[in-house]
Amino acid sequence: MSILSFIFSQTARNIRHSWSVQLMTTFTVTLSVLIFSFFYLIYTNMVEAGSRLGDDLRLIVYLDETPSSERKALYTKNIHNFGKVEKVFFISPDEAFQRLEKQLGTENDVLKDLTSSFLPYSIDIYPSKELRNLSRIKSFSDYLSSMPGVSKVQYGHSWIERFSYFIKLLRLIVILSGTLLLFTTIFMVSYTIRLTVVARHQELKVLRYLGATNWYIKGPVLVEGFLLGFLGSTLGLAALYILFQWIKTNFSGPGFMNLFTLSFLPASHTVLILIISVLLCTSGSMISVRKLLRI
Amino acid sequence: MTTHPSENDKIVDIVKVTKIYPPDVMALRDISLTARRGELIFLTGASGAGKTTLLKLLTCLERPTKGVIEIGGNDINTLTSKAVQKLRQRIGVAYQDFRLLPKQTVFQNIAMAMEVRFKSPKEIKQRVDELLEMLAITDKRNNPSGKLSRGEQQRVAIARAAANAPPLILADEPTGNLDDESTARVMSLFSQLNSQGSTIIIATHDASIYKNTHHRLLHLQHGQITEKDTV
Repeated sequence: MSILSFIFSQTARNIRHSWSVQLMTTFTVTLSVLIFSFFYLIYTNMVEAGSRLGDDLRLIVYLDETPSSERKALYTKNIHNFGKVEKVFFISPDEAFQRLEKQLGTENDVLKDLTSSFLPYSIDIYPSKELRNLSRIKSFSDYLSSMPGVSKVQYGHSWIERFSYFIKLLRLIVILSGTLLLFTTIFMVSYTIRLTVVARHQELKVLRYLGATNWYIKGPVLVEGFLLGFLGSTLGLAALYILFQWIKTNFSGPGFMNLFTLSFLPASHTVLILIISVLLCTSGSMISVRKLLRI
Repeated sequence: MTTHPSENDKIVDIVKVTKIYPPDVMALRDISLTARRGELIFLTGASGAGKTTLLKLLTCLERPTKGVIEIGGNDINTLTSKAVQKLRQRIGVAYQDFRLLPKQTVFQNIAMAMEVRFKSPKEIKQRVDELLEMLAITDKRNNPSGKLSRGEQQRVAIARAAANAPPLILADEPTGNLDDESTARVMSLFSQLNSQGSTIIIATHDASIYKNTHHRLLHLQHGQITEKDTV
């Protein structure tokens, strides 16, 4: 009989003997993976939403007076000097007025008695992706404000700031929960396996007297850890998918959630979570098996 | 390089071995003993004479305080843990306290010795059933060993020691709990294994099993060994 079939049959026997403890550990791993991946799912969706909002991000530079064509060229040159921008448009008061009318839609009659003269000449700047983080946007805005002839720069400063802090907080939660769950998983798995090992102490002692090799004893315990990790994380990720579908079904529609197109974790991230869980559980088993080999 | 045949023939070679348990309990004092392949040796002596200690030394459960023990030409003091595992696979031991797993069946307890040597299930089944038959405990095959009488447990422990027909078998008081019929069955099993080439060392104070024997008889007293003529 091969060592592998021995290891698998021994693993099956161990699981049968201590199924209640194994069930509890699987449940713990499932919960750990669910909690961590839930936060991670929120984080990735927020980051995705942030980048989608960033696509619409533009800075509006209001000018004191209508720029000459030389001035326009100078502004364009200065803007490109700071960093990469995707588009730069010079907007005349007439164009701005038409845009406003369009934005107001059916209520544009409020503009009936007005002319475009109250609107200043402006520049619409669409920054490139590299410029879309909070500190870069801030310094870009400061730079634009310092250009001659600029009266004001607008870019939804407070909203971007709040969103950026929220993303930072979320990232912190993901890192903290990930770290805590990492330790919890290792601790729980190694202790559960140690419990099953203590329950089998007499058997392992006899096996030692009979000349059982390290792999004969270690193999089944490691396979146990592998299975716990695989099963626990698969269940955790399946639970996350069900939860995700439920949220998507019940909370999509007009309102805040509609701003975000919810998407599940990418396949590569799901596989990575699965692999990490399996590695953690196998390491947990390895920790406890090292102790029992000292018999 | 050639080896002297008698050297090659030695399976156990104990040279001036002393075993002291802390703080200062002298279990064995300066003993020397050689067992050749295919030999059957009776090790007699009163309780506390050092018989069990000697068997523990031979299975590497204890290490000598002084002296050298060679098994199959390997000095046990220098063996790595992997080599100890290999060595234990080649020694069948019937412990005085049986060391069975009470919740496992008789079959499982015996099969365990063969499983650690990766024998096939078919071979295991065949051999275990053969041993159960020889020791008259076939009807207990699927009973948990914890539910058996001491005599039956002793026979299971002996069957486990004999399962792999190892080159060296150590039996500590193997007939201590047996009636005459069971004793005869056990001794017949040992004789059969011995005739197949196994070296067997039986530690006992049951004179009935070595009475009229033509095998070697060693006597342990106060941790020292004396060779007796066969009775």
